[in-house]
Amino acid sequence: MTVLSVLRAVAGPARLAITHNSQQVAKMSDHRAMNIIPSRFQWNKFKDMLHLYFVGAAIPLLAGIGITNMMVGPATLSEIPEGYVPREDEYYKSPITRFLVRNFTRNEQMEYEKKMQYIWETEHKRQLRLIEKRVKKLMAERGDYKAWYYTPHIARKYQRIVRKETEELMERRPAA
Amino acid sequence: MTDPYSDNLFTKFCTSVFNTIDKPVTWFRERVVVPNRKEYPWYHRSYNRVPTIDQCYTDDPVCFFEANEQWIRDRQVDREIVNILRQRWRDCAFYEGVDAPVKCVELQKISEDAETNFFIKYGDLSAYANVKDCYMKQKHRMLWERRHGPVGTGMKTEQ
Repeated sequence: MTVLSVLRAVAGPARLAITHNSQQVAKMSDHRAMNIIPSRFQWNKFKDMLHLYFVGAAIPLLAGIGITNMMVGPATLSEIPEGYVPREDEYYKSPITRFLVRNFTRNEQMEYEKKMQYIWETEHKRQLRLIEKRVKKLMAERGDYKAWYYTPHIARKYQRIVRKETEELMERRPAA
Repeated sequence: MTDPYSDNLFTKFCTSVFNTIDKPVTWFRERVVVPNRKEYPWYHRSYNRVPTIDQCYTDDPVCFFEANEQWIRDRQVDREIVNILRQRWRDCAFYEGVDAPVKCVELQKISEDAETNFFIKYGDLSAYANVKDCYMKQKHRMLWERRHGPVGTGMKTEQ
């Protein structure tokens, strides 16, 4: 009997101990119990995300595409009638593409013509700037026009000396 | 005369296995989908011909741009043509099998001529080629032919 009572003293703390077996119950003061189990966070999160991407995205999109193809259907390829200029969205087969082209896309012909206009404008500006450059160069060479390089000179003697020396320098060393 | 592929129990079994999926799908398409669809057309884009590069002035970049776009489209068309002719030869060779060198000679000749002409016009230009490069290639070929004779007869030395 004493052996058993000693065991009872030892088993007291063991009852409160928490081991790592599943369904181990920790006996606390209240009658309610907490089941200690491994975490189900990742599994629940996976189900949540799967549900979101299917019900929120995949199923509505697939249903929309399916209903469009069943109710409206793709277009049939045909010859352009005489003297008829098709709308931009009549160049595409699928009704969804046609919808996007009609409402959200730029007009291909318009973009082409805009590009040509930009090229023409840039070339126009370039030609004007080339002319300007040429005129400036000639005015610098000849010094016969008052626009760019005119400074009213008082010391003519000095100017003549400088011009003569510059010409001699240019003769000795051809301008690069 | 009965179809030799249908009075065969094994074939019938295979067909019926296939039909377990095919029949409902076909029924759905023919009874539900096709009557509800609308008939409306779509078209291929048709581009007007614009002046080619040899008709453009040298200082006209707009004309050059349009000629370049047209050249790109024409090059794509030529690529598809060469592809179609090649595919015809290949289909003939596949069908004839061992007899191909004898039976597919015309198709082979047509395909090889098309490839040669394509290479004469577009070959050896870089990936960033434009219509001016192609035009200059033609000019250089004509110059070479003027100096050395037809292409394929070798270069003449100075004598």
